[in-house]
Amino acid sequence: MAAPPPPPPALMDELIEEFLLRLPPEDPASLVRAALVCKPWGRLVSCPRFRRRYREHHRTPPLLGFVQVAVGSNSTYLARFGSTSSFRPPCAELRGWIVIHSCHGRVLCSPPLFVDEPHEKRLVVWNLMTGEHQELPRLPWCPYPGESWKAAVLCASSMGADCSHLDCHRGPFLVAFLGSLHDKTGASVYSSETDAWGEPTFPPGYCGHHCFLTRALVGNALYFNTMMDTELLKYDLSTQKISAINLPPQASGWDIVLMAMEDGRLGFATVQESKLNLWFKEDGQDGDARWEQSSVIELDALLPVEALSPEPDCADGGGVIFLWTSAGFFSIDVKSRRVKELGLKGHGFFFSVVPVTSFCTPALRMANTGEGSGAGASCA
Amino acid sequence: MASAGSGDEKAAAAAMITLISSDNEKFEVTEATATLSQTIRHMIEDGCTDGGVPLPNVTSKILARVIEYCKKHATAAAGEEGSSSSFSDAAFLEVDRAFLEELEEFDDAFLEVDRATLFDLILAANYLDIKGLLNLTCQKVADSVKGKTPEQIREMYNIVNDLTPEEEAEIRRETQWAFE
Repeated sequence: MAAPPPPPPALMDELIEEFLLRLPPEDPASLVRAALVCKPWGRLVSCPRFRRRYREHHRTPPLLGFVQVAVGSNSTYLARFGSTSSFRPPCAELRGWIVIHSCHGRVLCSPPLFVDEPHEKRLVVWNLMTGEHQELPRLPWCPYPGESWKAAVLCASSMGADCSHLDCHRGPFLVAFLGSLHDKTGASVYSSETDAWGEPTFPPGYCGHHCFLTRALVGNALYFNTMMDTELLKYDLSTQKISAINLPPQASGWDIVLMAMEDGRLGFATVQESKLNLWFKEDGQDGDARWEQSSVIELDALLPVEALSPEPDCADGGGVIFLWTSAGFFSIDVKSRRVKELGLKGHGFFFSVVPVTSFCTPALRMANTGEGSGAGASCA
Repeated sequence: MASAGSGDEKAAAAAMITLISSDNEKFEVTEATATLSQTIRHMIEDGCTDGGVPLPNVTSKILARVIEYCKKHATAAAGEEGSSSSFSDAAFLEVDRAFLEELEEFDDAFLEVDRATLFDLILAANYLDIKGLLNLTCQKVADSVKGKTPEQIREMYNIVNDLTPEEEAEIRRETQWAFE
């Protein structure tokens, strides 16, 4: 007599982990729903070991969406999150603020520039993951209004130790602020741990008045391009020094977008005659920086025909560049050259957009119940 | 001359490995095919393959499929290595693309199996440590879960829900966005 067919094999915990690791990071809702299948799956997905492996497997934090400045019903400006993924924040709008920068799920906002009090610089950090927003204490000094300053929000471990950026949106953060006042350029750093701004530094080595445009965090330093043709500014977070870095003669400071390259180097993108040019800084001394052109991407071949005069607007650290064109907003993956239309509307001074990239892995409460063995027990 | 010939024969014979399934079926494969498995590669390096490699965790049905996968991917890997030195850049890219397309088609067809076979392939890929196969099969399971509700996933994979209704409701409240 033939034996009955064996039942389908059960997947061992270790192999459940293998396939859950392969759920796409740009669809974080899938991971949340999988975590709710049963307790072992929930514990597995929520445990730090899985979350670390997930990050290592996918490497580049996914684009969750954009924060864009919009005009509300009663003519107030607001920062609004628009999703390009399955992620939905607890709160998608912050009224009365415009977006300045975003890093790992945190968004830095300021009042619309013309509303700003002349001697008070206000800033708020909006946590898209938790929905909380926190207004920072007033900056102890105030640069000229307009584009005379730039600020960036960073996770606190950007300084010194490496951060896995897994849970850093729940941890301490810094806000670095650079601005120009009376022909001097100075910097201040806010720490959420002390809830205070550090002493402003006006390094003697670097003066001059600047209009700041974009910024990139590479290693321990923030880089800014300004309206100056030939130089970038570098602010070293650990030494608090400001220094200048020469640009290659083919590029002008005012029409480039700075970016952190995937390999951890500083790079920039610029568009000339519908060619997207990518440059990266070679290792070596900043004072005598050497730049190399890494690639040229023919935009005509990638964008729809009606997309005239493409202009790089912003970049993220994962090798994606965002472009405004007459036909809308597009992202280009530098490596695969894949183009995505992002369906955002509006353009101009008040309509700048900031990409939000972050891993978004659930840390559900059932992970802490300590019930049973299974996946939860194997987590370090 | 004769000794050189027998040497070649010996080398050719040595390059074949015998794999023995759990139901005692023997499969002769080239070393290039077998070493896609890190587990077997290590056994070859340690000189433990004389008299065949017993694989007590893999049935002949699954081992045949695994070998089919390894043969195809070992050929593709050898093809890529060979082509890099003998083609110009453009021709190389063309060949490369053709290889990749063919391999993708093969992989898609390879995955047309029932769920029990898919799970067995995952277990075998994990046991034999074949990275490409593990990736391919696990990705297939991950794709099947994408966009599904927890109830649908439980049903698909016959998983018992051990969350109390209260626990489930609470987690759903915390993560409501993922269910919209």
